Amino acid sequence: MQNVLLRTEKLCKTFSSGGLQQHVLKNLDISLMKGDFTVIMGSSGSGKSTLLYALSGMDKPTLGTIHFGDNEISKLNNDKLAIFRRNNCGFVFQQIHLLDNMSVLDNVLASGLLISRNKKETAARAKQMLLEVGLGEEAWRKFPSQLSGGEAQRAGIVRALINKPAILFADEPTGALNSAASDSVLDVLTAMNKSGQSIVMVTHDIKTAMRGNRILFLRDGVIRGDMSLGAYEKGHSVERQEQLQDFLADMRW
Amino acid sequence: MSIMNLIKANLRKGKGTVVSLILLIAAASLLLNVGLTIISSMSSFYEHKVEELSDPYVVMMMKKSDYKDENGDFFRNYKGVTATEIEPVIVMPSATMRFGDSDMNTALSLLNADSNRSLGPLQLIDRLGTVPAADAIYLPYSYYKSGGYRLGDTISIAFQNKSYRYQTAGFFESTMLATNNMGLIKMFLSDAAYQKLAAELGEDASGILISATMQDMSQSTRILDDYHKVYPLATEGVNAKFHYMADIEVMKQVSGLTVNMIAAILVAFSIVIVLAALLVIRFRVSNIIKDSVVNIGVLKALGYTSRQITSSHVGQFSLISFIAGAIGVALSYALFPVFGGILATLTGLIWEQQAQGTLILVSMLLVVGSVTLVALFTSMRIRKLHPVMALRGGVKTHNFKRNYFSLEKARGGLQLLHACKSIMINSRQNLMITAIMIAVTFASVFSIALYDNIARDKTAFIHLVGAETSNVAIQSSSEANSGELKAAIDRMAGVKKSVILDNITTTVDGQSILTSVSDDYSKLNNQMVYDGRFPKFDNEIAISWAVSKLINKSVGDTVTVETGGATYTYLVTGLSQSISNMGQAAYLTLSGAQHLIPSYTGQLIQVYLDGVTNTQFMNEVKAQYGDMITEVTDIDATIDSQSSIYSSAVAAIMAIVLVITIIVVVLILFMVVRTTLLKRRRDFGIMKATGYTTPQLMNQLAFSYIPIMLAGVIIGGLLGALLTNSILTVLLTGAGIHNVQFVIKPPVIAGLCAGLVLLAYAVSMTAAYRMKHITPHGLITE
Repeated sequence: MQNVLLRTEKLCKTFSSGGLQQHVLKNLDISLMKGDFTVIMGSSGSGKSTLLYALSGMDKPTLGTIHFGDNEISKLNNDKLAIFRRNNCGFVFQQIHLLDNMSVLDNVLASGLLISRNKKETAARAKQMLLEVGLGEEAWRKFPSQLSGGEAQRAGIVRALINKPAILFADEPTGALNSAASDSVLDVLTAMNKSGQSIVMVTHDIKTAMRGNRILFLRDGVIRGDMSLGAYEKGHSVERQEQLQDFLADMRW
Repeated sequence: MSIMNLIKANLRKGKGTVVSLILLIAAASLLLNVGLTIISSMSSFYEHKVEELSDPYVVMMMKKSDYKDENGDFFRNYKGVTATEIEPVIVMPSATMRFGDSDMNTALSLLNADSNRSLGPLQLIDRLGTVPAADAIYLPYSYYKSGGYRLGDTISIAFQNKSYRYQTAGFFESTMLATNNMGLIKMFLSDAAYQKLAAELGEDASGILISATMQDMSQSTRILDDYHKVYPLATEGVNAKFHYMADIEVMKQVSGLTVNMIAAILVAFSIVIVLAALLVIRFRVSNIIKDSVVNIGVLKALGYTSRQITSSHVGQFSLISFIAGAIGVALSYALFPVFGGILATLTGLIWEQQAQGTLILVSMLLVVGSVTLVALFTSMRIRKLHPVMALRGGVKTHNFKRNYFSLEKARGGLQLLHACKSIMINSRQNLMITAIMIAVTFASVFSIALYDNIARDKTAFIHLVGAETSNVAIQSSSEANSGELKAAIDRMAGVKKSVILDNITTTVDGQSILTSVSDDYSKLNNQMVYDGRFPKFDNEIAISWAVSKLINKSVGDTVTVETGGATYTYLVTGLSQSISNMGQAAYLTLSGAQHLIPSYTGQLIQVYLDGVTNTQFMNEVKAQYGDMITEVTDIDATIDSQSSIYSSAVAAIMAIVLVITIIVVVLILFMVVRTTLLKRRRDFGIMKATGYTTPQLMNQLAFSYIPIMLAGVIIGGLLGALLTNSILTVLLTGAGIHNVQFVIKPPVIAGLCAGLVLLAYAVSMTAAYRMKHITPHGLITE
């Protein structure tokens, strides 16, 4: 259990609307390990994004518990959850969700300065990280609307990682990007994972899922399959793709 | 779907804003209708009352011993006089009675209630038939409204060291001598009480009242001027005696002055509220368009024209403003008794307001028209929106050119910098909020300054009116040597200083002017001369600003003064200002007046005390020099009671202005914050996702309005401090005022500003509490 980062017990999530109840997640027992690049897959409506947001403390489970280390986060109130997120989690959204009234650098600092009181050091770190994901000095001053989709998502990744989170959650991070931009974003995530960053990513794209070393398959709110892959390396893609496709075929995807 | 259905659908979406808008617009139309009605009705109201009550246009009262037939003939034979009446009255030049919470000293005339008279007949509002005839007194309506008297109450009138008690048998309404701000009050005694008192007081209190009406009401001032040219107050060998006159134009002006100021404040304030509502409407329409841009695209794709969609947006606000305007106007008539009460306090007359179709139409048109125009202009962008563009989410409504308050470089905490960014993003909206805050703060400072100077420390107001704020006034008897009496008073314990300050009537360059005479103007508390100085030498004169304009003379010019056939030329040394006598006044030294009336000594001595109460001094002076004195008047008590009607009216207006200021601040901020929450819910969701807590975001939002509110209240407060006197000067120019010097207290203004900012913070935080319902999860489900 030493490497378990996040653990759920009997996790359930139910949505009510107009007197109708929809059980989206059903009794999930999941353990996420440190350093893993976990990919959650499933068809539309399977509950994968709901699971991601429940695991990350963005949404509260209806039943069951979520433990982050020794702390049960499922019992925290909204503000304590916010503090938990700022200290431990990073988020990358499909729709990127940068604050459009701020420059790229300010978007990153808006997260970074939530924890750090050292403005100079945080700004230097943000700039370094932006450079590492291929965003040069010119891009720092731009507003989100002036960036390409790939640039904006890489800025989103830097924002997610600026506070050195224990775990990075990514919800379809390439869903709104073209192929080239997707590759550049996935390369960044892969590189981060190689340097030890734990990542949980939701996707329904096989090419994107291949970046992970663990695949969880979700259908009708239940984990139907859990497959381990080796660490992603460029050039192994055909073999890796076949392995993943076989798994998904077993899952009747 | 018809336009009406689109309107209904739009209204359903923002119920909270609709309610707030209705409140704001209703308040604006209420104040607008009240203000416009008062302003438009005041002049005709007074004239209508004069006709309704068959009141005279001119009255003159004097002691019977001073009256000669030729005095009455002057009025009878004056061109344009339509009716004259001369009747005996009882005159008390200085009577004391309770009025409100203090003793009031005033000149009093008592008329026989059972005498037949066609001018100014007794018009009772309320009467008590059970009062015995021997005790019955009828009091002016102002005694009911401000004096605290009720039917059956006993009134005790102190005159010449004796007290006379009567029972209130009724209250009457009159446009003449019925309020205590003119220095003379009339009351009616039943025939039995009148005859008994007349017999007891004898010839000394016997007076004559001359009443007259004219073809042209506006000529009423001229007849008195002409009278004084023929019969000056003081002439050689005859010192001024009890002599009182009033005309309807002066009464109208004195009563109307404060009423019109109040009405102006109400109208100005209603305009502020309408502007506030317009700001919110502009903001709201923008957001509705932004939020429903895809729906607009769908409607356009379905075949709705831009005009139809625009009409649905404009229509909802026109509908809201029409409903709210109608509510406001209807409420204004329900609340007219409240405002009528304030007006009755000031005028002593019953204000009955009938619905005025034209004014209702004007109020409604102003409110509905301005709202519709703003909604129309803001909705114009719908025309430019093509269906495809709208379906894709519309054009970007923002155009960020600068990254204000860079988080890297700017100083300050994170939340503060976020707040500052918000301020810069919404700069146009914030400018409008600042403008509204400037306006409401200014109005509040203005009303507080009025309250401070009229109801609390009245010195500046009393000086403005033209009265001298001594403690006690002593009228020496005509046989006594006033100079010797003054010297004796100066030697008494507790007397700080004394000065002779009396009046004579003169003509200055042909104009009839009430002229003050003093032995030493430098001793007066009320230094009314604002340009140059009071006269020091016998060949000098100061004239009021109004007289200066009338005769086209200023400091350095010479004027010819005439009275009783004697003339003398004086050098104008200064210009003064005061409201009394329509602002027309002149000032001579005692030695200067003696060029016209060599034996004149002045009989009224103003006494300033220190370390002794007015009552102690008055008793002492009566005991020591009673044989040389006709009357002793407690000036402090008189000022208190005579200004009490203004105090209560100004206090009521200040309360109304402050309450409305608070309502405006609360509603504006509430609506703006709520709309911002809707507009920026995505941003707040993102921030929550990255770890910002609800209190942090609430503070961020509230702080983004504090600098705006702060700027608004500081500018409004400064403008209030700097411009209140100038605005009052403009308002009072017609009354003879050139330079108002009301005391503006910086700590009071600072307290008001701080209070408004704290209120703004509290309201922002309360309205921002809905931030709690914005969840990062909403980002996914949106």
